[in-house]
Amino acid sequence: MDEIDPRRLVQIHPERISHVSSTDYPGHWPGEDHTWDLAAFRNNLRLDIQRLTPSTLDFDLVGVDASIANALRRILIAEVETIAVEKVFIWQNTSVMQDEVLAARLGLVPLRIHPGRLESWVPDATATDANTISFQLQVSCTRRPNVSRDETDPSVLYENSAVYSSSMLWQPVGQQAALPDWLADPPAVAAPDIVLVKLRPGQEVHAELHCVKACGREHAKWSPVATATYRLMPHIRIVKPIPERLHATFMQAFSPGVIGRRRTEGKKAGEGEWEVYVKDPRKDTVSRNVFLHPELKDCVKLGRVRDHFLFTLESAGQMPPQALLPEAIAVLRRKIRVVSEALEELMHPTALEEEEEAGGKADAAEEGAMDVDA
Amino acid sequence: MNALPRFELFTLGDGEKMIEVVEDTKIPNAATIRVLKQDHTLANMIRGYMLKNPKVLFAGYKVPHPLEPAFILKIQTDGSATPVEVLQETCNTLIALITKVKGKLGEQFTQKELEVGLEEPFGAPG
Repeated sequence: MDEIDPRRLVQIHPERISHVSSTDYPGHWPGEDHTWDLAAFRNNLRLDIQRLTPSTLDFDLVGVDASIANALRRILIAEVETIAVEKVFIWQNTSVMQDEVLAARLGLVPLRIHPGRLESWVPDATATDANTISFQLQVSCTRRPNVSRDETDPSVLYENSAVYSSSMLWQPVGQQAALPDWLADPPAVAAPDIVLVKLRPGQEVHAELHCVKACGREHAKWSPVATATYRLMPHIRIVKPIPERLHATFMQAFSPGVIGRRRTEGKKAGEGEWEVYVKDPRKDTVSRNVFLHPELKDCVKLGRVRDHFLFTLESAGQMPPQALLPEAIAVLRRKIRVVSEALEELMHPTALEEEEEAGGKADAAEEGAMDVDA
Repeated sequence: MNALPRFELFTLGDGEKMIEVVEDTKIPNAATIRVLKQDHTLANMIRGYMLKNPKVLFAGYKVPHPLEPAFILKIQTDGSATPVEVLQETCNTLIALITKVKGKLGEQFTQKELEVGLEEPFGAPG
């Protein structure tokens, strides 16, 4: 634990936090060279997968600045595109739920469709088979015959007393029916047991749903993650040995599993036979409870490692979690490339003018912008 | 009431240019760069990695108003490069960095798992 460079630590005191910003840039430490170097960065960079389940991915990202980790988190939440229900054409709705409330619920149902299958929706576009997927929802509720008189459970008394998301069925449109991989893995809802609306005999819901591809910035229904979060790796350093009578108190002051107890090396029975040590700081929730005990608060130094991020991604069902991270990185590269290309055009507008044909009113506007100095 | 339609947060309008550079007359080797339709996601990254460039004396960003989708980046260099050149270098640095992260990610997963995530839907309509 003690091999972490103290400059990498955010220090946690009983009432405040210090050393929050990173200091490894040129000019901060006199006489040291902190110019960013790709080779050094590559040696320090670590990405370790801790846990992968069908819905969740936990991984560690070590060696990047907080701005990169935050950018990845923001992009995972808001800028990775997925497909969700956008337009609901209601032919019949005699249920007790209003049309618009039902439509809002339908929009939030996660659809297990690979986003690469559609083109992104642009404002005021016409719906074509390249940018829209169509589902149909048609359920009506009827009374079941021959049910005992004292039965009260609606699922026994009535047929289709609740409309589940499994009733949303894909309707191939245009060229979509001819694609073999679409037919092999047809568009479907991610979870079949989501209750959409409850019905009683005589009530019916019949709607056509159009789904488009967009990103979370447009509406949260398009966000691919239940959420994406990160926390910094906690760091605990025992600076003074803890007396044996306080071992139990010390261990309980941290989350379970953080502090362990073992026999001291090189000491036999008697005073100092057992010692406490930091077993697994990752499990700590940094409650700072240890500072409540006056005799323990000078024995530890708490902190967090500034460039060690413990990410947790939980997918909402559209894509498996291991597919989310490469998408986020691709979106991030695209964003930087857009800025980079715009800068290129700004710096060398004449090169582009020669390559493009006449009709360069865009270039003329750029030249104008270059002349506008304060 | 004052909010823009959501797609305008990230789509450039007609005739809008993404980047505008205004040279600073009072401070040597300084410029103010206004980037449209981007937010803290990009701005904080650019500012953070620009600070690691030894030619940069000052780098900072702000989002003037949360309802307007734009940010302003102020850069001052020591004269060995212009602010726009330094910004270009920083963009290249960031792309190299992200590519390294992506490489590390690839090493962690088996090829089969990655393919499941990144499969191209060949034969997509249109």
